[in-house]
Amino acid sequence: MRDTPLSLRLYRWLLRLYPAGFRENFAGPLEREFRDELAESSGPWALAALWIRLLADLTISFPSQVALEVSQDFRHTLRLWARHPWHTGFAMAALAIGIGANTGVFSVVNALLLRSLPFHEPDRLASFSPQEFIPPHDRAKQFHEWRAQSTYLADAALVEENDVNLGGARDAARVHIAQTSWNFFSTLGTQPVVGRAFLPDDDTAGRSDIAIVGYGLWQQFFAGHRSVLGSTIRVDGKPLTIVGVAPPGFDFPGNSVLWRPAEFSSGNNGWQTIARLTPGLEWAQARAAFDAEVDRLSPNSGTRDAANSRPRMRPLRDSLSGPAKSASLMLMAGVGLVLLIACINVANLLMARTADRVAELSLRSALGASRARLGQQLLTECLLLSFVAAVAGLVVANWTVSLAVKAQPPPLSVQEYSILDVRVLAFAAAASALSGLLFGSLPSWYAGRSYASSTRRSRLIREAFVAAQVMLTIVLFTASASVGRAFVHLMEIDRGYDVKGVVTVSVSLDGTTHQSDKRQLAYFEDVLARVRSLPGIRSASATEFLPLYATGFVGGPFGLDGQRAKRNSTMVPVLSGYFQTMGGRILHGREFTEAEVRAGAPVAVVNERFAAGFGAPAEAVGHQLTAGRRPPRKIVGVVKGMEYETDPTLADSNQVFVPSEAPGGFFSTFVARVDGRAEDHLATIRDTIRSVDPQVPIFGVKTMEQRLADFFARPKFYRTAVWMFSRFALLLAVIGIYGIVSYAVVQRTREMGVRMALGTTPSQLRGMLLWQGLLPVAAGAVPGVACAMLSGRILENLIDGAKPVDPATCIASALFLALVASASIWTATRRVAGLNFVAILRAE
Amino acid sequence: MPQRDHPPLSPAIFHILLSLGVGERHGYAIKREIAARTGGTLKLGPGVLYGSINKMLELELIEEAEDRPDPHLDDERRRYYRITNYGRKVAQAEGARMHGLAQLAAATFGGPKLA
Repeated sequence: MRDTPLSLRLYRWLLRLYPAGFRENFAGPLEREFRDELAESSGPWALAALWIRLLADLTISFPSQVALEVSQDFRHTLRLWARHPWHTGFAMAALAIGIGANTGVFSVVNALLLRSLPFHEPDRLASFSPQEFIPPHDRAKQFHEWRAQSTYLADAALVEENDVNLGGARDAARVHIAQTSWNFFSTLGTQPVVGRAFLPDDDTAGRSDIAIVGYGLWQQFFAGHRSVLGSTIRVDGKPLTIVGVAPPGFDFPGNSVLWRPAEFSSGNNGWQTIARLTPGLEWAQARAAFDAEVDRLSPNSGTRDAANSRPRMRPLRDSLSGPAKSASLMLMAGVGLVLLIACINVANLLMARTADRVAELSLRSALGASRARLGQQLLTECLLLSFVAAVAGLVVANWTVSLAVKAQPPPLSVQEYSILDVRVLAFAAAASALSGLLFGSLPSWYAGRSYASSTRRSRLIREAFVAAQVMLTIVLFTASASVGRAFVHLMEIDRGYDVKGVVTVSVSLDGTTHQSDKRQLAYFEDVLARVRSLPGIRSASATEFLPLYATGFVGGPFGLDGQRAKRNSTMVPVLSGYFQTMGGRILHGREFTEAEVRAGAPVAVVNERFAAGFGAPAEAVGHQLTAGRRPPRKIVGVVKGMEYETDPTLADSNQVFVPSEAPGGFFSTFVARVDGRAEDHLATIRDTIRSVDPQVPIFGVKTMEQRLADFFARPKFYRTAVWMFSRFALLLAVIGIYGIVSYAVVQRTREMGVRMALGTTPSQLRGMLLWQGLLPVAAGAVPGVACAMLSGRILENLIDGAKPVDPATCIASALFLALVASASIWTATRRVAGLNFVAILRAE
Repeated sequence: MPQRDHPPLSPAIFHILLSLGVGERHGYAIKREIAARTGGTLKLGPGVLYGSINKMLELELIEEAEDRPDPHLDDERRRYYRITNYGRKVAQAEGARMHGLAQLAAATFGGPKLA
């Protein structure tokens, strides 16, 4: 028959789908049957009918044969595991940590970078930060005209976040809210679930006393009742009428619980712009149009500092994830390496076991199991191992996620990190399957050959594994050193103040009886008098901005005697005794007196950097601090710069300290330097402040050390994570090296007996084994140092402040690893010392 | 292999046991015999036939006899199977189970009385 070869070829190919055991037993009879049936089928219809029957037959029989062989392999694997519980437990733990850490970090990447945002077509949304570009915004009309004429934006909205006192006079709570242009919700494509969004002109003066509340707030304060519409809610004491309720989970921007129409004013430069691209327009085209517009509106328009880089229009997702994006990717690479090392380690272990199982495999082979069948059995073992490890890894993943939430909370509640997500679970399954194939393929392939070849080849493969592990461990070790040193530098930097023994408590007078400018200072003096009289208090003061408090700075182009400084300055209003309390160092002159603060005297203290811009810092004292048309102030002191800016690119900025005239206008923080542990004074100071007026909302009751720890939680998390990765990698490497050497000792007992009989001492033998054991370490160290140098470059770009990786660090890592490896080898060869060559040779 | 109570056997397995109850057979002969016995209503495909044989070998219901040349087909060597004692017992039990069912069906719906 003309088409016989083709049909037969096709059928033979289909037979390959069957599992190996069935195939090797029945491929012959199956093929013979096929040939018989083919001979009986004449004509195209009969041939077609035959093929339909055969395909149906294959579909029915295939799953049952797979299930049969998998269950055989499964039972065999469980028996093996029970026989080697330590090996199995170690391999499972290594893989569980590897797969679990990968899954945990992936769930962060998934939440921040992959999961969809809760907006309509979120990929078309752009954002401009207020530091870079703000469209015309002096009046509502001006902004709305700007967005209406835009060719590259379908719509744009302005939004500004701030903290307010919410509720009545007795039970005010401090919450985060946003004020927005009226079209904020429509730009995002989100509609309130109850009531309405803002209407055109709601953001004009006189019409803006309305609010949309968050879903959680609605449930909490109004029990989810529709009568919420038309109710009033007090924000900083001002009643707002509720017109709508935001959908569940909607808390953009920055965990807001309430949105109110914007109050435009020419001085406000805190607006973030959210924009939706014109339909059909590519991002590149929109960016080009944006750049042209920025140039047209003058490069300095709306920007805070001319020294800033060029404004950029970024996807909203990118601006939400911020620096977390590159850090998460760095962590992903780190955990990827860890998993790779774990896989190599387990492969090494399996190689050793495969070599040990030569007898078993030979027996099975003699009983008729083919190489493919044995390979399939070993691969099933590996996949089962990685699957069980993945299930255990979910516990590690969950733990990783809970750590990540503390270090890097998601910017929106819908971006919650969770492992219970289809994509994350699919990732865990894929990571597990891939690991199983990765560590299982070589031992499985080798299994077919091991009984035919020498153990020398097996040792060579295992040594190559150790070399690869050493290489990757050096990369992780060097990265850990780089990130670790960056963190140490961050913590040991001279902040310009003494962080120990300082208690901080924030208050806001908005909406209280002390709200008017004249009464604010009296309240603060009253509180300070009581706090200072407490036992154990050395000094107390207050400031409108604490160091490292990133938002809400005011500043401007200050100068000396009319000559402008080269850079803008940050202005920090403080009360008397502030520098003394914070441990600031007055270098020249003095700080403010209580009388100066009370009288609102035109005086100022500048930092050393500002003063140095005009000559010797000491000479600035007595000169005039000028700021445009504002009245000049007399400089009474020069202080060592205090670390205020959270953005490292703005560090070492010009700072101007002035007496606070209305300290409670926005919110202020009391600071107190205490004797002993600051934590012990927190409650007393908080209660003392509350005793002055229980109506005043108190928040942020923390020691300065706690604030610093909160602030550095993220870099600390990175450092801890990379540190843990590198130590875990080291542990696996040491175990790998130990395993290979102790195996060699067992394998070469006879050879060593002969050597000892010929006069070699046990110490000489151990020296020889040490030298041989260090060879793969050396083989891995050379490429390891090169890769570490290369990865250091990438790390520098990903992590702010990561120190460059120098050859000395890489070589030190390699030497350290060699030292640990030597100790491991020396321990593994301790058996040699007890060898009795007479007994060994007699046994032979 | 542990010998235990079996759930109802699949028609393919029961028919294979019936064929081998008479004597040793190779796969193709079993298949032809089943087709003839059922008037062509049960035609086992090669995958189902040898898949069932594989499973029956695993369960020790049948075992392999020595290979021998097929007298009908030149000198081609075929693999022969025979029923084990255990397989015979399982087939008896299955027959009894079906007999009981048939009696129950006759009592419920009427029909020929069974011994």
